[in-house]
Amino acid sequence: MSSSTLMKTFAETDIVDTLIVGSGAGGAPLAAELARNGKTVVVLEAGPAFPATGHTPDEIAARELYWLHERLSAGTNPQAFGGNNSGTGLGGSMLHYGAFMPRMDARDFHLHTETGKGVDWPFGLDELLPYIERVESFIGVSGPAHYPWDPDRRYAYAPPPANSAALKMREGCDALGLRHADGPAALITRDIEQPHFGTRHACANCGACHQGCRNGAKSGTDNTWLPMAVAYGAELRPGCFAHTIERDSSGRVTGVVYRQNGVEHRQKCATLVLAAGAVETPRLLLTNGLANSSGQVGQNYMTHVSTQVWGEFDEDIRPNRGYPSLTITEDMMRPKDADFVGGYLVQSLGMMPATWGQNLARSTTTRGPAFARALAGYNRSAGMGINGECLPRPENRVTLSDEKDAFGIPKPLIEHSYGPNEWAMHHHAARLMTQMWETVGAKDIRVIDRAAHMIGTCRMGADAGSNVVNPVGRSFDIDNLWVSDHSIFPSAAAANPALAIMALSLRTAEAMLRT
Amino acid sequence: MSRPPDRPEILDSDHLSARTREILTSRLLIPTVQPHTLSLQAYAVLDALLPVLLPLDEILPPGTDIAITARIDSALSGPRDGWRFADLPPDAQAWESALLTLDDVTFEQHGLRFIHLAHDLRGTLLDAVMEGQIGLEREGRLTASQMKRWSGDLRGEVVDCIMSDPRIQQALGISSSLTGGDTVFQGFTQVGSDSREDFEPKATAPLLQMAESSE
Repeated sequence: MSSSTLMKTFAETDIVDTLIVGSGAGGAPLAAELARNGKTVVVLEAGPAFPATGHTPDEIAARELYWLHERLSAGTNPQAFGGNNSGTGLGGSMLHYGAFMPRMDARDFHLHTETGKGVDWPFGLDELLPYIERVESFIGVSGPAHYPWDPDRRYAYAPPPANSAALKMREGCDALGLRHADGPAALITRDIEQPHFGTRHACANCGACHQGCRNGAKSGTDNTWLPMAVAYGAELRPGCFAHTIERDSSGRVTGVVYRQNGVEHRQKCATLVLAAGAVETPRLLLTNGLANSSGQVGQNYMTHVSTQVWGEFDEDIRPNRGYPSLTITEDMMRPKDADFVGGYLVQSLGMMPATWGQNLARSTTTRGPAFARALAGYNRSAGMGINGECLPRPENRVTLSDEKDAFGIPKPLIEHSYGPNEWAMHHHAARLMTQMWETVGAKDIRVIDRAAHMIGTCRMGADAGSNVVNPVGRSFDIDNLWVSDHSIFPSAAAANPALAIMALSLRTAEAMLRT
Repeated sequence: MSRPPDRPEILDSDHLSARTREILTSRLLIPTVQPHTLSLQAYAVLDALLPVLLPLDEILPPGTDIAITARIDSALSGPRDGWRFADLPPDAQAWESALLTLDDVTFEQHGLRFIHLAHDLRGTLLDAVMEGQIGLEREGRLTASQMKRWSGDLRGEVVDCIMSDPRIQQALGISSSLTGGDTVFQGFTQVGSDSREDFEPKATAPLLQMAESSE
């Protein structure tokens, strides 16, 4: 993050208006909004402050952007963590996210009303849309002039050029009669001066979005909300691992104890916001025994069904080049032949070589020369993948394991198993994408069964008995404790979560300002 | 540390940042102290297993040793990727136990240690591991279901090492490290099919020569 503003700092003895744990999509917009309205704000971030120019496309070294405190993954579909979920460093997961930024489908807010399954959100798209538009406008999102599934929508930036996978997917959609478009991508395609930050350059099509954007083209919180927060007087404290939430005799939060460079510190606050994500937020609440009168903290962990299908082509594809996932179709949001509820988005996939190879390695048992030949097919490979609804299920949850981490805190245990709905969606998507690739001449077609993202665990709703926070993110149990991240999502919806997290963050900030 | 004589051309490209060049160059060095994490017995089993899982003789020039065994052994003591299967012990312990399990099962089935087994028999045993048919129910060893889980980690770790090696990237014609230099961040001008830019490597791997020559 760069900013010409000298950052204001607070003493640990100062009682800041708001202390925020986490600097990603959940914490950063709220930090900026509260600071802009005159509140004193401190943001604790467990990871370091990475200079954008130091990011490297080397996938092994770029793991420094992932949350690396060990998690234990269980269930019949144990989720691979690391990439595609939690991040660390000022900017959170948005340092390494893919920047694919579709809006939530209006129907996904009311899945239970529509289907009798899943859970409704306590409000609809009309409530969130103004915040979504503010986010898109402020951070910079590119998209097509005409979006087939929402003709009224406008994007401020033209799409980046379509790479090989995007072009191949267009052919596949055309062959099957599906609509397609350049998808919404949170990156800029012309140089701009970002308020409070400085120059952000147009996307250079380098393809390494997941390893950190080196020229500021990708819209993260590190080059948007966080500099704005600092400009209005917020303090960002990197390298601070929060572990203990302190309270007074009435049960209200008084501050947080965190470790920085091996030393324990304490920051006092009037209000605490947890924005640490769907694993670390419930882990903090569970280790501190807080805000759980509903018994719902850690429950209803959800992901996205993220099936991928890859194929090899005769052409030189070079899947590392260009924005990785440009082409989208939303035609599967409620497919007519569905044997599941909800829907899924399909996107084209380019990919960096080790990530691609990992998927290949873990989805097959090929060995010997055949394995070498498969890996050598990298430059001729293109993929498609989905993000689809995942229903909340009681057996999917975050709990505390019996193992302690380096801080002496129990490691989180994440149990994740697909139910019939997720499997039905996976098979539907695998069939569709296989057919699309076959139609356009792909060979060695390979289906990869995988889940991505982390959602749920501190559900938002109107009823205190079955929810952790109310419809604006405030704890039912502790009135100066708020949650602002994807843990409050009542349902997974199909869209990648970052946009909704940021929109909810602004909305929660407004609610905090009203109290 | 010792350095093999080959130096991939991509390391001298001005489309590489100094940090990325340093990271990739460090992979040319072979740790002189081996093993670092595993026992000698487990290390030897891993060394004998890797050519069965993923032979590189059709990708790299003859005689090139990119020291995958040593790099995996070192990596097991370094920062990991932030998660593990709950039904496996911590990574270093899981790898040690898995490799010793494989060695013990080999001895029980064939009366020989894994490193003395013929190449095709090693392959048959690896297939059985991946299918969840080999394991031991005793302290310090992994059960068949744990061995199957671990085989996914084995495959993933090997691929990480392979695909992040500059000699492999050069041989397969992969340009993913060449996103841009420090003074000029070039990115890619061409992103469509059949549009290799001049600075991007051409594949040199023997198994890809036929495809490249028809370009």
